[in-house]
Amino acid sequence: MLSFLYKDNPFFRLAESFFAGLSLGYYIGIVMNQTLKPNLVLPLIHDFQANWHLVFAAGLGVILYFRYIKRVAWVSRWALAVYVGYYVGVNMMQKLHGEVIPQVGDTMLSLSYHGIGTLWNLVMVIGVLSVLIYFYFSTEHKGVIGGISRIGIWFLMISFGAAFGYTVMGRVSLLIGRMVFLVNEWARPLIGLIT
Amino acid sequence: MKRQIPLLLTFLAGAIPTIAFFVPQKHVGLVSTTLDSWLIIVAGFALLLGVVNVVQMNTNKIKRQASGWPYAIVLLAGLAIMGFFGVAGAFDKFGGIATRPDGSSTPFDWLYKYGFLPLQGTMFALLAFFMASASYRAFRARNTEATILLIAALLVMFGRIPFGEMVSKWFPLATEWIMGKPNMAAQRGIMIGAALGAASMALRVILGIERSYLGLGKGE
Amino acid sequence: MQIDRRIIYLFVAIGTILPIIFVIGLPVSITPPVQMAFDRIENQLQKGDIALVSFDYGPSSAPENAPMADAILRHCFSKGIKVVVIALYPLGGLSEAVNEVNKVVAEFPELKYGVDYVNLGYKDGAQAAMKKMAENIHEVFPTDVNGTPLDELPIMKNIRTYRDMKLVVSLATGIIGEWWANLVNAQFGIPVIVGPTAVSAPKYYAYLEAKQMAGLLGGLKGASEYERLVVNSYPKLAEVYATPGLYTATKGMDVQSIVHLIMIAFIVFGNIVYFTSKRKPRKAS
Repeated sequence: MLSFLYKDNPFFRLAESFFAGLSLGYYIGIVMNQTLKPNLVLPLIHDFQANWHLVFAAGLGVILYFRYIKRVAWVSRWALAVYVGYYVGVNMMQKLHGEVIPQVGDTMLSLSYHGIGTLWNLVMVIGVLSVLIYFYFSTEHKGVIGGISRIGIWFLMISFGAAFGYTVMGRVSLLIGRMVFLVNEWARPLIGLIT
Repeated sequence: MKRQIPLLLTFLAGAIPTIAFFVPQKHVGLVSTTLDSWLIIVAGFALLLGVVNVVQMNTNKIKRQASGWPYAIVLLAGLAIMGFFGVAGAFDKFGGIATRPDGSSTPFDWLYKYGFLPLQGTMFALLAFFMASASYRAFRARNTEATILLIAALLVMFGRIPFGEMVSKWFPLATEWIMGKPNMAAQRGIMIGAALGAASMALRVILGIERSYLGLGKGE
Repeated sequence: MQIDRRIIYLFVAIGTILPIIFVIGLPVSITPPVQMAFDRIENQLQKGDIALVSFDYGPSSAPENAPMADAILRHCFSKGIKVVVIALYPLGGLSEAVNEVNKVVAEFPELKYGVDYVNLGYKDGAQAAMKKMAENIHEVFPTDVNGTPLDELPIMKNIRTYRDMKLVVSLATGIIGEWWANLVNAQFGIPVIVGPTAVSAPKYYAYLEAKQMAGLLGGLKGASEYERLVVNSYPKLAEVYATPGLYTATKGMDVQSIVHLIMIAFIVFGNIVYFTSKRKPRKAS
């Protein structure tokens, strides 16, 4: 895998393809063992009377695969409609109740003087409002709106800079994990064997 | 009918969890939680849809002997090996897909530990190198905004490591302030905007105004 | 001035390998979000309370999330807190849960599976599973990871919903950690601690500030801080973390420090070259 750092080569492509295959096989294993067997097959076998409604779930799941059969491909839209509709419905309330309301509520900070905290509250309120105004594209960013949206851009730049710093840390951590393995479990025992 | 039924199903599937959120009544809750159980199962089937797609694409590649077709064979081989032990585990062969009671690895777990984990780990480890190269080449203080971004990045990078604190206690404090105040404010603004956008898109899908996910245009 | 990218790669590689071989042992300072997470478990949870630990990551972020998972599990087990383990991340969550739990439990021979801890395995449809767990966790996870019915596991006898648990800890890559905060905490009120990867961590500060999270462990630095806190509080864990050859987040931070300095040096050098090359045409004219 690391040979890609020098140049793209057949060994890297081989490893990459094998990895892709393993990950898809992993999906098969976990879905069959951890979802379909305990949540669908076993309840239907052990207590059909109490769990008969799961047949509809199985039906919806199977109908998803009808898209590969030209004559009945249109039926797969029904299962897709239920799947998309459900997650979109859950997401809507999740976003409104779990993000918009608490975040807006927490932005309503006291701006009356109570020490240095007032300054930080001001920074937060200005930051949130200016970023929201930056993302409001129904008005041209000119004059006052343009000025406020410029401040919003600065806040965004600070945030993206911080995100970059954290991203560097994140990526390097992944490298550390692999290098620790190569040094401690390969290089050290190999050197021990040779010397 | 072919168009109306999916739109009706989308409306029902989206409206049920929304109504259940506001109406804490036993029968409404029962319908909603039943739908939750169903969607856990449907999500499993949906995950495997991607697998079928990839198998179809790679099989066609091999049949046509398109560019890179030997790699398609390797991919399908990896899929077949891992998939076989996964399916066998579902029938309680080879001890399942986790570890056995005595702590030894099942074949599925062994393939994960010595095949999948090192390959994916190394693939993502490459990103550190690309990051270093890209930041040297592209990270320039060309204008005010880029300078702000650069200063914030350098402060955070230096403040988060122990060296930063050894040089001055203000570096980690500055980093924490950046994360907790201006960064948090910007992230909150993005979050509110994105959440409102997502919620309005969700409403459009539920009401059948947005139909692109079904492969239908607005007029259809 | 263009430096061949392979020279940069070489510097990064050397900067990574040398601190692994020659351990520096740099100190780790504690930040408030991690202290909050530690205090929640240390002060608000008692022996016998139930904590749900969700493995929402895979090998793509294991070097960051696994040390967090180990530290949290070791803390819970040292305090006598019972742990219910699940996984909601499809690409490796299950196997990471199995392997990390097995690794940590081996250090606590007094613990009994099914009594002190249990691994319920992976489930598809993360949001659907999270919602359903508020109604009946036994219907979401009818068996544990090995297929044992939950009725046969004493720990699960009195656990039906989130109300029977005191805390959720999610070790997450990607969006699943956010769902614990904006779906589960928002709708069902259970305190949530999230250990995201460093890439995702900046976003979580908004949730933390809005009290939708009880604590935050951001990336490898967060993991190293938590390790420091548990080592300071539990002498037995200090011995565990002192084991030679054991990969810990604290040791990883040594390497982070060197590589960060290398990257900062390259960025600063690149900017110096940029500014000096900008000035040269002006001087010529």
